[in-house]
Parts: sequence; C-alpha cells; structure tokens
Amino acid sequence: MSQKSNGLIGFACSYAPLQVIHAAGFTPYRILPEGDTPDQAGQLLHDNLCPHVKRILDRGMSHDVPKLKGIVFVNSCDPMRRLADAWKDARPNENVMVVDLPSVKNDSSVSFYSKEISRFSKTLSQWGNEKRVSDEKLVHSMELYNMLADLLKQLRKKVRRNELEGGRATLQKIYNYVGQNQVEDCIKLVKQHLEKKIVSTKTDGVPLFLFGNVLPDVKTFELFEECGAFIADDDLCTGSRMITQVLEPDKKDLYLSISRSLFSSPPCARTFEESRPFQIAENVLERARKAGAKGVIGYTLKFCDLYLSRLPFIREILKNEGLPVLVIEGDCSLGSLGQQQTRIEAFIEMMR
Amino acid sequence: MLEYFNNVVTGIQKRINSEPHKTNARKKYALEISKLGSRLYSDSGEKKIAWCGFLAPFDILNAMGVTSCFVEFIGAMLASTGMADTYITEAEQDGYAIDSCAYHRSVVGAIKKNVMPVPDFIIGTSCPCVAGLGVIENMARIYKKDLFVLNVPQENTVESVKYLSLQYRKMVEFVSAQIGNPLDEDKLREAMDLTNKARALLIEVYDLAKKLPSPANSIILKDYGIVLNLLMGTQNAVDVAKACRDEFINKIEEGMPGLPEEKIRLLWVQSRIQFRFPIEKILAEKFSANIVIDELNNIFWDPIDLDDPYTSIARNTLANPFAVNIPKRVSLLQDLAKEYKIDGAINPCNWGCRQGAGARGLISNGLKKVNVPVLNLEVDCVDSRNFAEGQIMTRLEAFMEMLDNKPNPFIS
Repeated sequence: MSQKSNGLIGFACSYAPLQVIHAAGFTPYRILPEGDTPDQAGQLLHDNLCPHVKRILDRGMSHDVPKLKGIVFVNSCDPMRRLADAWKDARPNENVMVVDLPSVKNDSSVSFYSKEISRFSKTLSQWGNEKRVSDEKLVHSMELYNMLADLLKQLRKKVRRNELEGGRATLQKIYNYVGQNQVEDCIKLVKQHLEKKIVSTKTDGVPLFLFGNVLPDVKTFELFEECGAFIADDDLCTGSRMITQVLEPDKKDLYLSISRSLFSSPPCARTFEESRPFQIAENVLERARKAGAKGVIGYTLKFCDLYLSRLPFIREILKNEGLPVLVIEGDCSLGSLGQQQTRIEAFIEMMR
Repeated sequence: MLEYFNNVVTGIQKRINSEPHKTNARKKYALEISKLGSRLYSDSGEKKIAWCGFLAPFDILNAMGVTSCFVEFIGAMLASTGMADTYITEAEQDGYAIDSCAYHRSVVGAIKKNVMPVPDFIIGTSCPCVAGLGVIENMARIYKKDLFVLNVPQENTVESVKYLSLQYRKMVEFVSAQIGNPLDEDKLREAMDLTNKARALLIEVYDLAKKLPSPANSIILKDYGIVLNLLMGTQNAVDVAKACRDEFINKIEEGMPGLPEEKIRLLWVQSRIQFRFPIEKILAEKFSANIVIDELNNIFWDPIDLDDPYTSIARNTLANPFAVNIPKRVSLLQDLAKEYKIDGAINPCNWGCRQGAGARGLISNGLKKVNVPVLNLEVDCVDSRNFAEGQIMTRLEAFMEMLDNKPNPFIS
C-alpha cells in the first residue's frame, strides 16, 4: 500500500535521488518535455538550449504541471543550471533547490555529493514541515526502489525475449509512470506486467542498442519498430538509467551509500572518470555487445553539449569494432524522429 | 604558431622601447600575453605545460612553475589571426556539431592538425561549462596525458568551499607528481601576495575607468580581466596592472579621455568578438560610444588569505560570474551598470554558449530593471564564416540611435 504523500516534488534529471524524495514523504514527479504548451522559454533563455529544458520551462511558464510542493534541479549540465534560474524567475513562489553533482567520479566527489543529498533531505523536511528524514524511512525507501529496479531489470529481459505486449513502447510507458508515481504503485504495476504471460514470438526486427539522453515519447519506440528495429537494450536518461539501486547501504551513512551508488551506475555523458576519459564509448560498445545488437542508434537532443563533444569518438570506436551506428538528433518528440524515418529505415535495412 | 608569437613579442617590444616615456599599458598587456603564447609553443621542455579549464587557479600553477592556459585562449588567438575558420571546418568534418561553441570547435580542429602545443598534463574545470570540460576530456584521450578535474559547485555553501579547497590541495599533489617537485610553500605565499597586489591595482584601474568621461577606450581593457587571470601570481600581472593604472591617472590628469567626445557608455557582457571585425572602432567613430566596462573586468573576489590560500581561492572561484547562478550574475551586472553609469549593454550571445548566452532573457530583463537596455547581438564570437555584417550593423545602429535619445539612467 502506498504511503500517504505530502505532495509532488518535481524533478528533471535521472540523478535526482528519488529514494530521498519518497523517504521525506513526497511523490517524485518527473516533468517530461511533452505537451503543446506555447513556446515561451525564449523569453528567459536562449533558443540554443536543449529542447528538454525549453519544453520543461514552457510547461512551467504555462502552469502546465501539476501542483508541486517543490522542485529539485540537479546541476547536471549548463542548460539545467539555466533552467533552475529561469524556473525561479517564472515561478517565484515555488520551493526550488539546486543540488550540485560533481562531473567526475572519485572519493571526494562521492563524499561531497552525499552531503548535497543530505542537504536536499533537510530541505525536503522543511518543505513538508516534517522532522528530519529518519534512517529507518530512508532504508525502507531504498529497499522499495531497489525492488523496483530489480523488477524493471526483469521487465527489460522480458522485452528482450519479446514477451512484453507492446514491447519497448510499453516499457517506456512504464518508465514514464515510474517517474511520476509512488514507488509502491510502480512496483505493483511492474509486477502486473511481469505476471502477464504472452507467447514469445520471434521478432524479425533487427536488434539494436539505443543510447542517448531524453526520449520519453512512447510513440517513438513504435516508430523504431515500424522501421524494422528491435530495441534490445537502451542507455537513456528516461529509460534504463531512471532508477539507481543502492546496494549494500552503509547504515552509518546512508547518504554516502546513495551517492556511491549514483556514481557507480551507468553514467550519462556528463559523468566520467579522470583516469578513463571517454569511457562512455567503451560502455556503449560493451552494452551493445551484451544485448546482442547488430547496430547502435545514438539519439541525442539538439544542442546537448554533453553528447555533441563525445559522439565523434563514440562513432569512431563503434566503427572500429564493426558495429554500424546511426546518430540522430531530435527534440524529444515523435515529430523530430518522424522526419528521420527514411534514415532509420535505410540504416536498419543495411543490417538485414 | 611559435613563430607567430615570437614575432609579435619582438614587434611589441620594439614599439614599447621606441616610446619609453609612455606607459603603453595595452602594449605591455599584449606583450606578456604573447610571451605566454611563446612559452606554450616553445618545445624547449624547460617548463611543463598544462592545458586547463577556464577557472583553473593559474596563480597556483604559476607558483609551481607550470606554463598553463585555458583552452579557449587558443580559440580566441586563432580567431584574432583569421585562422580559426580553417580549424573549425576541420573539427566539423570530424563530426563536431556546428551547434557547439566555436571556441571549442577551433581548439578541437587545432588538436587534429597538431597546432595545439602538446601538454604535459591537463587540468579541467567543470565550470564555466560542460562543453569546455568535454574538450578537456577529448584532449586527455588524444594526447594520452593525465587529467585532473576541478569540480566547481554552483551553490556557494560551507561544504562547497571546503570541497573546492580540498580539490585545490589534491590538484597541487597531482601537479607535484607531474613536475617531479613538491610545491614550495614560500613560492606559493609569494604568488598569492603578488595576486593580491595585482588585485589592489586592478581595483584602482577599474575605479578610474568609472570616471566621466572614462580614461578607458573600448580596446584598452578588451577581455582584460579574463586573460590577465593567466598571469596572476606573477610580477608580470602586477606590472601590467600598474601600467594601466598609471596610464589612466595620466590621462585623467592631462584631461585626455579614452574616447574624446564620449557620448554613450557601454557595458560589454561576457567576452568580445574575437575575429577581425572592428566593432570597437565603429562604436567609437560612428556613435561616439565607448565600452567602459567588460563584465569580467571586475574584482568580485576578496584578497587571498596568505595563511589559507586554498579556501580563499575556492571562495573567489565560487564568486565568479560564470560560476554563480543567474540572479547573482545579474546583480553583479546591475552593480556594474550603476557604478560605471552605463547607457546600454551589448551581449554578443556567443552561438553555442549555453552557460552564458543561455541566460539571455534573464540578463536582459535584469538590466532592464535598472533601466539599461541590452542589445543581444546573436553573433558567433569565433566563427566568422556566417558573420552577417550588414545585419549586425543595422541592429547596432538602431540600438545606438535609441540610446542617443535616451537619458542616462545614472547621470542626473
């Protein structure tokens, strides 16, 4: 049974510690870049910021978001920093917090981010007029999210075996639900899908690995299928990177455990290790091979510097390893992908 | 490029020597920066070379005897010599998107064509931008050199200061291992003292520039604060700042303003147009408009505590306009507008700059609140290939006409 919620806490980045939001008695609500709100972001921010940020801001300025108790922005990239600034300007009466996330993984970064998560936790308590989040509550929330993460892993395997009705599109619906609902309800939903049995049918889709950032539109996955793709696995902010498991939490410092887990999970392009620059390329290759992919599609948002600077090398590595790669840029929506349908079809046809 | 810088050094030195009675402030600044360029390209191996992010602590690196520079410096240099376009094209052919910042694309192209001096090690900074850090990561991969990254938090908290100052200590350990020498604490103290001396002189320089009319013209302090940072911790920074201070004093005493008939006083946001477009000359000659202050020509940082330099530098870095949130940045701009009695501001909105130009509307709105109109130029400061001079001139003319007919909000 879901806990009573003190309200919604908005977030826009997969690095937001959802366990802490839940432990503080709130429901995390991922504001997705969807809908048809008028373009207003350009009044505050430059048009050359990514469509993810602009659309979220558009929604905020049009009051096209549910009532929020507050919103947390992770300092994950420059547009996110600017989004936080613009959000505060557009919605001055709303609780806003920016959490600083270091760019590289090392001991001092992990330690610093644990303090940021702790600061976030304190802030949430203030927003909810509640006492500080207890360790018991936090452990309980971590256990629930760990369970959810495990269930989602099982669901991804089901997709890979072509045993989930609706395939990757259905999985995306579930990911979107996970970002906007109580974890208990999410667990229930995922279990329902795991329990449903359908006869596994061989797909004639070409198995592909999809990497990139924000792609929540369910119809885009239907489009990939129509083009002849079978998305065997993904590395997306709105996909497999949604939930971080906190394994072996240290009861003496739970926030450190969360921080360590976040840094140990598959990273977005913005996080790397100083000793292994461009590890992202190796990660993409490894995941693609594991998924049995015949090719790779890199989907990134227009103006995303994090990927713009790394794509050339990722392409080079995949090419050297004999894995065809198609890079497409979009604005999170089906429309932008639809324009590239011919390219996607030709790419897939090439691999048949 | 070594030949280029050596020629520039020789040329400037000659001109300075031919006018020993003059303060030659801008020439002295250009000389020291060109000498840095020569050192970067020199392959003598005398000093280790580090490519860095923009907010690296150059005074500490200077104290350790490292020749260091932020990567965008090369982008700017290539643009000012008319060479950037070639390297930008090179980077684009390699798959670097045209939507990214041209400072970085030119550097990536220069790396590809072996025009960048090969570093001995690399120090990245997460601020001001993730794109810059991406270039740094690229460098580490291509050159196979050790990399250290300074994570600069945006939120200025007690923990942020502690975290950043801890990172500076770790950076010193990293650099010591690279150069094979520990940091000499006396040299560090001396460097910090020199930084403080330069700081005090710069405060005088910028205060003098506030005069009506200003002793500064649009060129003398062009990108000054940004680039002078590279010399901090050295006597050169002190000498350059002193030359500028003395020149301004002389000009004021002799009644020689930076721009005779100064009519319009301008604030320039972020960094200047780097390729050859004489906007400063056009502003002066056509509109009697003078850029009396650039955003980063501002001492927004406290003197360094010689007994705890790392904490001081951390606090100062966190106060940088490129590190803070936009409300804070706008507040600094508003203060500058008031102190310098600005008629209007020009924001080039460098294409591809998410962290800076990304806040275009917030900055315009913020300056509007103090009655300072902003011209958002929408120009690429490094890539001149698509530069539409006609459009820029039209916009400039309209803006200047408006300012000409508008009373200065700070002069009664």
